[in-house]
Amino acid sequence: MPTVNVLFNDLQRLVGQKLPSNQIELNEILSYVKGELEVFDGDELAIEIKDGNRPDLWNVEGIARALRGILGIEKGLKEYHIVGDSGIETYVDKDLRRIRPYICCSVVKGVKLDNEVIRELVHLQDKLDQTYGRRRKRSSIGLYNLDLIKPPIEYRSVKPTEISFTPLESEEEMNLKEILEKHPKGIEYGHTVEKFERWPILIDSKSEVLSFPPIINSNDLGRITEDIEDIFVEVTGTSYETVLNTLTLVTLSLADRGEQIYSTKVFYPYAFPSRDKGEDVTPHLKIKKIRLKDQYVKQILGLELDRKTILELLSKARFAVINSNKDSLEVIIPCYRIDIMHPVDVVEDLGIIYGYNKIEPRWPQMITFGKISDKEIFSDLVREIMIGLGCQEVLSFTLDSGENQKEKMNLKELKLVKISNPKTLRFTNVRGWLLPSLMAFLSNNTHIEYPQKVFEVGDCVLFDTKTSSGVRDVRKVSFITIHSSSNFSEAKSMLDALLHNIGFDYNLKTIQHPTFITGRVGRVVVFGEDVGLIGEISPSVLDKWNLENPAVAFELDLNALKEMISSKEKK
Amino acid sequence: MVSLMSELHRLERRLLVALKDGTCLQIEELSEKTDLPEASVGRALMWLAEKKLIIVREEKRTTIRLGSEGLKFLKEGMPERRLVNTIIEAGGEISLNEVTELSDINSELVNIAIGWARRKEWLQIIKNETTMLKVKEEPKRDLEEELIQLLSTSTHFADELDPDFMNSLQLLMNRPNVIVKEEKLKRLVKLTAEGLALANMVQETEDVSQLTPEHIRSGTWRNIRLRTYNINAPVANYWPGKKQPYKRFLDNLKLNLVALGFEEMEGPIVELMFFNCDALFMPQDHPAREIHDIYYPEEPIYGRLPERELLFLENVKSAHEDGFNTGSKGWGYTFSTNESMRLILRSQGTALSARTMISRDLNVPGKYFSISRCYRPDLVDRTHLTEFDQVEGIVVGKELTFKDLLGVLEMFAVEVAGADRVRFRPDYFPFTEPSVELAAFKEEFGWIEFGGAGMFRPEVTQPLGVEVPVIAWGLGVNRLYMMEAGIDDIRKLYTNDLNWLRKQRLR
Repeated sequence: MPTVNVLFNDLQRLVGQKLPSNQIELNEILSYVKGELEVFDGDELAIEIKDGNRPDLWNVEGIARALRGILGIEKGLKEYHIVGDSGIETYVDKDLRRIRPYICCSVVKGVKLDNEVIRELVHLQDKLDQTYGRRRKRSSIGLYNLDLIKPPIEYRSVKPTEISFTPLESEEEMNLKEILEKHPKGIEYGHTVEKFERWPILIDSKSEVLSFPPIINSNDLGRITEDIEDIFVEVTGTSYETVLNTLTLVTLSLADRGEQIYSTKVFYPYAFPSRDKGEDVTPHLKIKKIRLKDQYVKQILGLELDRKTILELLSKARFAVINSNKDSLEVIIPCYRIDIMHPVDVVEDLGIIYGYNKIEPRWPQMITFGKISDKEIFSDLVREIMIGLGCQEVLSFTLDSGENQKEKMNLKELKLVKISNPKTLRFTNVRGWLLPSLMAFLSNNTHIEYPQKVFEVGDCVLFDTKTSSGVRDVRKVSFITIHSSSNFSEAKSMLDALLHNIGFDYNLKTIQHPTFITGRVGRVVVFGEDVGLIGEISPSVLDKWNLENPAVAFELDLNALKEMISSKEKK
Repeated sequence: MVSLMSELHRLERRLLVALKDGTCLQIEELSEKTDLPEASVGRALMWLAEKKLIIVREEKRTTIRLGSEGLKFLKEGMPERRLVNTIIEAGGEISLNEVTELSDINSELVNIAIGWARRKEWLQIIKNETTMLKVKEEPKRDLEEELIQLLSTSTHFADELDPDFMNSLQLLMNRPNVIVKEEKLKRLVKLTAEGLALANMVQETEDVSQLTPEHIRSGTWRNIRLRTYNINAPVANYWPGKKQPYKRFLDNLKLNLVALGFEEMEGPIVELMFFNCDALFMPQDHPAREIHDIYYPEEPIYGRLPERELLFLENVKSAHEDGFNTGSKGWGYTFSTNESMRLILRSQGTALSARTMISRDLNVPGKYFSISRCYRPDLVDRTHLTEFDQVEGIVVGKELTFKDLLGVLEMFAVEVAGADRVRFRPDYFPFTEPSVELAAFKEEFGWIEFGGAGMFRPEVTQPLGVEVPVIAWGLGVNRLYMMEAGIDDIRKLYTNDLNWLRKQRLR
């Protein structure tokens, strides 16, 4: 979740009220904007905003705007106005439709920048690019010195080697291909364009490059310094709504400091879902309306709120109301509240401002029948018997390495679910059987008093073409004992005891299995169906796990056994 | 006396009996008489001496054994015997010069041998122009030879030799290196008066440590005395079969949830993106769906939905695109049903709630819970795992409100986790609105974040065919256990440490 770095004094000044300097009390206030202090070091605050869908709270201006309402300092709708048309036009090339189709721009004049403001601006830009802009794929922001641009601007595509310019954070001129290969931003965000033959570029009428979206700005036109007064803002991307919203958020963060907003015109040669081809004037800064029933508020929150209280809460949440009738209200949503999709989003705001801790909790009075699943009941029965037989239960990870599951068990063939994006070599597959987990366990305890008798009841995943996903979970039990005189009959006694007590007769079918000693391994057969394995572990396997004592084990498929019980019950 | 008797060790009793006839015995003799190893006898004698039941008298005694020359005599015969044999072989008479030639006796020793043979009257010396040696008949084995033979078997005490040998011993000791004389300590054991009295009692009752079925069957238990034990002596370890402690905690948690009327939900580890994310109204380009937050199998890549559920897929698609018929505007992008059929390793327990809501068997009103293994690409360290357990639940009911949600959370914190009081803070989850974070206060830990909850958004419930409000909650169960068990390393929950498991106390 995004973290906002702010100066305490800056926050206090923007809120317009003294704020508590006590961490607990300040946290209490910040909780109304889903904020939590990560750092509170004198003047420096780092506030984590725990809402990934509220980019309007990702800078200090946005936090202050919301707090002013909640604290009752400035209630109701916060309106922003466009002063006029900047006269700047941007022409979009038809090739961009397939590459990066949308661009929205604005102009902000009379900016007073200092290092602190620039720092916050860069932070906001970065957070929007990373999170809301999906690492610049969906949208990315560019800011420019308006005075240096010679309009009209062209948003078009070029071949990677066609154009060269000096990018930010660099001194040499590079072509676009070189930027992708050498420049840190090119390496980081190259994936957004490299699959295309032609790449986006933004240039002015004198063919001066503004930027190579969404990679990097020009070091000449696209560098923001303290002496700049007028800024050109542009957002490009693959989702029109995201691009437009992002432009709104950046433009407003500047306007909140007193600057004036001017619109620009963009000309598209193509139409797209929300509009026809031709002229688009941005930013929009349009309010939205949503119908809210009083009854709905009560129904969600469980509070008997009267109309007056609802209106008061709405105004603290910085909404306005028009066209109210007997049982509903038309709520005006400010342009920056891009998170509001449904009346329930407004209701949450009302609940938060009312105060979660003022709401009396109530245990829902409904009669329901509690129940553990049949699968777990059966597993618990098996666990009960194994524990009664003197075994220590263990719990291990269901992810394992292919080496543990196969090579170290002498197996060549075992089809496992393999993870395509593993984080470490230790966890690359979902396990297909439990015994390797138990072997790893024993291997870790060679210095601990013998005999050791352990078991696990746990899940494995096996391939099964009969299922809709091609794989299925299999609940298994596995037992192993290790000591100087362990042998087959010991494991068989345990198997006898387990199966007898859970209601099964069985027989063993001699098989060859590379994990076990030949002639000392068998399949466990119940009602003619294979349900598991029992055997003495082969010395070559013991050796691979650094075990110096004989070990015997069995493993059973509990799903198969349970199904037999269910089918018996049906008969 | 009787109490002393019952304290006697089995070994002590046998020695008392062996010494009862009043003789002084040595350790070796006692060992033979009782058929016990000397070490055991020695140990038991020490205990008896401490109890003042025996006196051990020590005597210094002389032992004799063969020396290097003596051993040679034993092997080759004494020089005088060898000399006489040479003469007999040569016909009974031989010149002195010939003797030196024929005999294998060192020439220097020949004269000594002749001297001894003469002294023993085994040969005659006839002095003509050449000195002749004559042996009439082969002499019998004499006492000196007998003694060498006797000493060949073992060390003997000088004072225990047959008096007949005393003279021969003296003679052999005069010859260098034939006999080695040593001083040795001899320990003689004798009962004290008290020891004797006890010994007489021992005869009546037999000393028994282990009561056997034979004792009981035959009735001999009446005549035996069972030795008392030092009940504080350390014993061998015994490791009971028991539950893995964290699993035991989860079992108990489950019982609590069942007691509150919750029914357990199920779902697969390899899950469809549909249940894990789409049905939960998480947009398809949501950051939590990227490869650094979700494990994707190499194979299989795609799954399918059963026929009946395809309708819900269409509804969910519509919810994402335009809000379905919920009054929401939706996310406004083109939903890919293909992406929805992508298989992943379940990354959140909420997937099971989605499955339950879509199920034909969903009860309204109903309460459901799950304890599920979930997977996220993370490096494993003290505070992170790449798979972990999530406890999740839903409450489905017509009249449910946010108040009920807070009530459910409070009930958990207080009833299940034993918290003293709770606090709620606004939170955010893509699938719930309103959303809330639960913090609970426990005297020994202070305020702890416990879990998150909320009411499922209409964009979640309605496309799945659920027309009533649904409360959803999730608890940080790993953390709850770590707190209770005083563990600060999350890896301990799935530990490979048998020693720790064996010693962990159950509470």
